[in-house]
Amino acid sequence: MKFSYNWLQTFFDETLPTPAVLEEKITFHSSEVEELVSVAGDTVIDVKVLPDKSAWLMSHRGLAKELSVILDIPLKRDPLRGEVAYPEPLSSVRVMLDTPTCDFYGAAIIEGVTVGPSPEWLKARLEAIGQRSINNIVDATNYVMFELGQPLHAFDATTFTLGADGVRAVTVRPATDGEKLTTLSHEDLTLTTDDAVITDGVNGAVLALAGIKGGLHSGVTEATTTILLEAAHFERVATRLGSRRHKLPTDAAKRYENGLSRSVTPYGLMAGAKLIAEIAGGTVIGITTTGDSSMVREPVTVTVSEINRVLGITITAADVAAIMHRFGYEVVQSGESFTITPPHEREDLLITQDLIEEVGRIHGLNNVHSIPPAPAPLQEINARLYYAERIRTTLVGLGFSEVYTSSFRDKDISHIKNALASDKSYLRSRLQDNLLEVRQQNIPYRDLLGIKAVQVFEIGTVFGTTDEAFHVGLAVQTGTDYKAKLDDPLLAAAVAALESVLGTKVTPMHTAPGYLEFSLEALLAQLPLPTAYDVTVKAPHVLYKPFSQYPSVSRDIAMWVGEGTDVGVVESILLEAAGNLLVRLTHLDTFTKEGRTSLAFRLVFQSHEKTLDGAEVDERMQAVYSAVSGQGFAVR
Amino acid sequence: MQQQPTGHTHPLSGMIAEINQIFSEIGFTFAEGPERELIKHNFDDLNVPKDHPSRDMQDTFYLDGDDTKVMRTHTSPVQVRHMLSHQPPIRMICPGKVFRNEATDATHEAQFFQLEGLMIDRDVSLAHMKGVLEYFFSRFFGGEVQVRFRPSFFPFVEPGVEVDMMIAPQAGNKLSGRWIEVMGAGMVHPNVLRASGINPDVYQGFAFGMGIDRLGVLRYGIDDIRLMYNGDLRFVNQF
Repeated sequence: MKFSYNWLQTFFDETLPTPAVLEEKITFHSSEVEELVSVAGDTVIDVKVLPDKSAWLMSHRGLAKELSVILDIPLKRDPLRGEVAYPEPLSSVRVMLDTPTCDFYGAAIIEGVTVGPSPEWLKARLEAIGQRSINNIVDATNYVMFELGQPLHAFDATTFTLGADGVRAVTVRPATDGEKLTTLSHEDLTLTTDDAVITDGVNGAVLALAGIKGGLHSGVTEATTTILLEAAHFERVATRLGSRRHKLPTDAAKRYENGLSRSVTPYGLMAGAKLIAEIAGGTVIGITTTGDSSMVREPVTVTVSEINRVLGITITAADVAAIMHRFGYEVVQSGESFTITPPHEREDLLITQDLIEEVGRIHGLNNVHSIPPAPAPLQEINARLYYAERIRTTLVGLGFSEVYTSSFRDKDISHIKNALASDKSYLRSRLQDNLLEVRQQNIPYRDLLGIKAVQVFEIGTVFGTTDEAFHVGLAVQTGTDYKAKLDDPLLAAAVAALESVLGTKVTPMHTAPGYLEFSLEALLAQLPLPTAYDVTVKAPHVLYKPFSQYPSVSRDIAMWVGEGTDVGVVESILLEAAGNLLVRLTHLDTFTKEGRTSLAFRLVFQSHEKTLDGAEVDERMQAVYSAVSGQGFAVR
Repeated sequence: MQQQPTGHTHPLSGMIAEINQIFSEIGFTFAEGPERELIKHNFDDLNVPKDHPSRDMQDTFYLDGDDTKVMRTHTSPVQVRHMLSHQPPIRMICPGKVFRNEATDATHEAQFFQLEGLMIDRDVSLAHMKGVLEYFFSRFFGGEVQVRFRPSFFPFVEPGVEVDMMIAPQAGNKLSGRWIEVMGAGMVHPNVLRASGINPDVYQGFAFGMGIDRLGVLRYGIDDIRLMYNGDLRFVNQF
């Protein structure tokens, strides 16, 4: 939520510290500050209000209260304290609550208003926090919501039909299936029985979507002179689901779904009615309330030793008492024990740990000093991890690269109810399909990577209808297609090496040309329990380099050199001559015949900017040929 | 630029092995649990309210034909499983795959790896957690690492904290000398201990959870975490 620095200042006599100081204080004692933004004559503090504090912190009063506690400076006004004194009860409006979604509904009638632009101070407040000023009535309702957290809604009272008894009626009820509502912002909604609506109790017309959005038909216009002001309390889950269903994540809905306390509602109603009368020149005729807005909070107890034991700090009873005092809790202290009754708006103080958190964050989590861990013997060795590591090390030693692939497939046994995409709607029952795709996908990169064959493996979970198991899959491919005489020996060598390392036979579960998969689970049953982990080498400290998305181009060169010529020297000549598009140089072979030595290399070129054409590469190769000839080597 | 004589271990496996090595020296065992997990362990036992937004279909993968399970959305259910089968003192880590039903981009994957940690005993406090995390990050990133806490909220801990770390300034290390947000953590909620068969009046402790992908981003400068899961050897063979 966006907070205005100037608005927060209105709660204090003392001058607040700078916005930068507030940012630091709020972040380390309350909720994370996302950013500070300077706007005309004000600074906006954008706070990512934590979910457990959202019921009461999504308002300027809420943050002002936090600042008062954190900074230890008194509030000069607290609009959520003191008894609410209702004016005259209304006889001209009757309210019926006919849904569990609404447990309290307050309505005020304000007559003789003049709808028009808001006063400058109000415009400035709302515009600072990114709200558009609409007119004095709507602005007043928004102002109260951002001030106290209580959403309000202003109806043109004459939209409600006058009943035979001369009384207007508000009925809050579930919608019927297919009922329609056009909102203030012109969305056409089709409602269901899951929606709660505010209706005209005389003729049944739907006027607003409860707790979420007002209707177009009943809104305030320039011709409006009588306002029916609503301040109500709607159930959090129903409001959240409704707001999601209709894709209307309004400021009002957000506050209800975070569990705003109904005890705040009467304060909102009174503040709204008073402000409208003040800035739109009307008279508050009366107020009617239906339902119960009272909120009884249960006492919670915490001791100083509990606080110290959980946080690992050494706070004194006097310090705890001082923090409780700053919160303004109703506290009964008995030695080191504190029993507090949470204020009506706080729904998040239910257990001892909640109080420990309150004390901890105000005292400062930076007062938690680390206790270094002592070495301790390991109680268990995880056999699966142990053997997976041995398999991994063995395969990597044979030139295999390890991959991790998706657990999802387009078609398999176990179906996901709400998949991201149709080709990801099943859980994989084997690794084979993914690994064969990965193998194929990497064939074009062999030269670039300086490898002759693609050899990949994965150790991962596969899923049956109810069970799941770790499998190991190995895929090998040398040429652009599977070549049994080249690929099978690589696979056979891998299996032989695994069997030798593990000391047991590997039984394949799935095979395909150049592919083999076995169950690690099944293998574990045959293996002895390990007693210690092998000492692992620290993972390499390399930095990842983004690679080009464009294809590479390969060229081979062979040359006669004098016997005993150092390959490294030739390589540096090639590197120098080929220039910066050369991304890999592979020494292919060396042979000596009649006193002459032949060296062959593969040069791989690639650009980060584009696909290289043959001519560009040929140009580079010309430079290479010249350099080679210049050394007196004969290109073959 | 010579051909590598050997293959390549995936950075996730390399990091997991190293994480295990570091934690095993202070007695943390390596625990596991199923990736297709009971809703009870994934949500209920972790004190996640029945109507919590994270349970929505928009966030969690549900399964056809089995209303009791989800693809686990975090490694935290392994805390519950581990406590149900072990008595304190408990020291465990669980690196594992988790699933979120969300659109993917360079910093989000629908499946990724998390590291869970749990330590329970009679007097394990936030101060112990700070010590364990400083030890871990110092070993993992090399050099002296400081840790700080900020208030946060997760249903399965109370108090909950956000953890930042700072690697002591090192020449040429872009990560060093500044605070970096790395994980969520806190003191295990009494409801979680109770659901896991541990008496919260006697025992307490901390839990933490972080993305292993994020560790990879920080350590290796990986700019797109999707590269870790698409089998592209142009990525894997750099490690």
